[in-house]
Amino acid sequence: MSRVICDIPLNRVEGDLEIRVAVEDGGIVEAWSSGTLYRGFENLLTGRAALDALVITPRICGICTTTHLNAAARCLDEVAGIVPPDNAIRLRNIALLVEHVQSDVRQAILMFLVDFANPAYAGRPWFDEASARFAPLAGGSALEAIRETKKILEIIAILGGQWPHSSFMVPGGVTQMPNIAELVACRALIGRFRQWYERQVLGCAVAEWEAVDSLDALEAWREAAPSHGAGDLGWLLRLGTDTGVDRIGAGVDHFLSFGLAEMPRESILRRGAETHVFAAGSVRGGECAPLDGERIGESIAASHYEGYEGLRHPREGITRPRAPDGDHGRYSYSKAPRYAGEPAETGPLAEAVVAGDPLFADWIARRGPSALAREAARLTRPARLLPVIDAWLGELIRHHEEPFIVHPSGMLDGEGAGLINAARGGLGHWAKIECNRIARYQIITPTAWNGSPRDDAGVPGPWEAALIGTPVRDPGNPVEAGHVIRSFDPCLVCTVHAFDPRSGASGTLRLGGG
Amino acid sequence: MSINAYWMQCGACGGDTMSFLSAENPDAAEVLATAGIDLLWHPSLSNLAPARAQALTDALCSGAIALDVLIVEGALVFGPNGSGGFDLKGGRPKKDIAAELARRARYVIAAGTCAAYGGFGRGEEIDARGLQFTGSEPGGLLEPDFRSGAGLPVINLAGCPVHPAVLRSVLTAVAMDAPIPLDAIQRPADWYGTLVHQGCTRNEYHEYRVEEHEFGEKGCLFFHMGCHGPLVGGPCNKTLWNEHSSKPRAGVPCFGCTDPDFPQHAPFFETRNIEGVPLKLPRGVDRAHYLAYKGMAAAAAPLRLIERKTGV
Repeated sequence: MSRVICDIPLNRVEGDLEIRVAVEDGGIVEAWSSGTLYRGFENLLTGRAALDALVITPRICGICTTTHLNAAARCLDEVAGIVPPDNAIRLRNIALLVEHVQSDVRQAILMFLVDFANPAYAGRPWFDEASARFAPLAGGSALEAIRETKKILEIIAILGGQWPHSSFMVPGGVTQMPNIAELVACRALIGRFRQWYERQVLGCAVAEWEAVDSLDALEAWREAAPSHGAGDLGWLLRLGTDTGVDRIGAGVDHFLSFGLAEMPRESILRRGAETHVFAAGSVRGGECAPLDGERIGESIAASHYEGYEGLRHPREGITRPRAPDGDHGRYSYSKAPRYAGEPAETGPLAEAVVAGDPLFADWIARRGPSALAREAARLTRPARLLPVIDAWLGELIRHHEEPFIVHPSGMLDGEGAGLINAARGGLGHWAKIECNRIARYQIITPTAWNGSPRDDAGVPGPWEAALIGTPVRDPGNPVEAGHVIRSFDPCLVCTVHAFDPRSGASGTLRLGGG
Repeated sequence: MSINAYWMQCGACGGDTMSFLSAENPDAAEVLATAGIDLLWHPSLSNLAPARAQALTDALCSGAIALDVLIVEGALVFGPNGSGGFDLKGGRPKKDIAAELARRARYVIAAGTCAAYGGFGRGEEIDARGLQFTGSEPGGLLEPDFRSGAGLPVINLAGCPVHPAVLRSVLTAVAMDAPIPLDAIQRPADWYGTLVHQGCTRNEYHEYRVEEHEFGEKGCLFFHMGCHGPLVGGPCNKTLWNEHSSKPRAGVPCFGCTDPDFPQHAPFFETRNIEGVPLKLPRGVDRAHYLAYKGMAAAAAPLRLIERKTGV
């Protein structure tokens, strides 16, 4: 059996990612993932004014900028001991979900489906049509996605001034309440986007898609009308099945969600005492458990850091980089977050499974996770989010005269955490504030969870595990590995301490020999 | 007539790309098509196989393929210890690749404040620098007298992120070899010659010194909330963001992100002042006159503004 080590640089992952894989008999048997950029944001925050986190953390990521802002604001709410008024929660949530919708559509079409226009598939009967649809800056779906996603983002500009990089969420609420005319304009933008999404992506009405509640129902839906196969979702399901993307990229079968969209105290969406529209929790082997933030810990055993062994909660986290020279066994500046001591996948699929979405729960139970399940959960998430956004816009119009901010009294001092679901999965900010100054700021991004290196026990991270068994037919064009990694929607710019200065020729990553 | 372009991300958040994708009428794809720009590579959009992408970069660096426009997004990372090891591509410091490409390009565009002046990480452990400046000091990755093939220095499209209309406009201009007048810090004067303050819907509050003291109160954000609108150049209130608004219009101060010294060390949400008058006055204003004027203006403020009985 021959063992070959390949280095795979991947683009279309928001930032740069280099994966080293060991290949035997044409399939990946081991993988090591390393980001190649260190930006030092946590240490840059230390010593600055507490509110500066509202300006600096959005700049960690130009795609999840509003999401970082939301996490920072919630972290500071907790420090101030304030629960923002319902209208503030609605306004923050609307911006958050709009950002998710644009991210889901852009990632699925511009970054994932475009791989079906890869020359590796030139012999397939659908190749010419897929190229005409998904080719960068030219394909029909690609142009539509560019044209429409920027329009829904106009809502965030109406609420917060601009996208990306506004700072309109502040401790206790938001900086303004849009007037009724502006809220009506937001509803019109949502309505317009929904019509487009139904026509271009789903090929049916959102209400019809909501009735698809099992794999059998999905198969029936695919055959029910030609429009169901003609949308981008139909293409994803068809090409994903034809190329075997439904059979690769299983990962760790441990799902983590921090919950999506905090529930206002009063809302027509409320059914009981739930804290989120889409519940927080974890699912392991089909067993669901509520989220316990105390079970989060980070290992640095395979990371270029020093200061501790084992797992450390981010509340006590430290980011002390060490020189990688002679740092054998350490191959990444990403720490390795673990939940209950184990790696966990986070993102739209995890979010759906934890929230008990019937289609994806059935899919996972019967076929296990796959790159296709992951991407399908992402591309169909807007169908779940658009009605929620619309409901809250309606509530804002009805409750327009109610408060949108409660001002903190006195100095910000104490500890806080802001845990939310970013488009790519669970995002956590943990801060310690002393007399209005940041004494400690730790961030764990979704990509740190999904793309983490090994931990103290040598256990690989979720996408390192998901790559195992993936075929590599052409090392110069490893399109299959690209499907698996991109199904996690990696965001390397967000991996605030991801770094591997020794990738390439130095050989420190050759843990598997070769 | 068509020109090519290569988009490179260094120490970036991707926000300038996201801003470009928010360009409207014409949008990002339309502006490239109508200006005749062949985008050879964009890290978030291209689907070249890794081996072909590397061959393309090599050919551009060696001059085998002539490069018309280099667009750099994100800071040039020099840390640790000047090595650039915090930002690598295939084991090579990205800053070195950027320098090779810049010396081949007819035009070099810094998309955003990080690429122009260093931005986040400047003076910090990653030692971030701009293409031709480090903060307001000339000289970054490239020397102060660097000129690209077309005879221009680096075109600095400041902003965090760059305003989509600015990037679109400059791409169109270079495609037709139109003149691009630059200011002293190499920003296109047509876009950075206006103050962010100009066009702000809260101008009347500023005029009569009706001040905002806490978030959501409505009022001018300049006196207490840290707004840089009257201090820095930028089109944000003339050409709106995402077709609708700007931060100050939404009650968020301008943080001065088009300034070479952004991000400043002082707290973002505070205005440093002497006895209630900002330390930094609107550009070019004399302190004694400003004190007298603002005192009288506050006394003349109409009740409808003081009581916020206005749609702004």
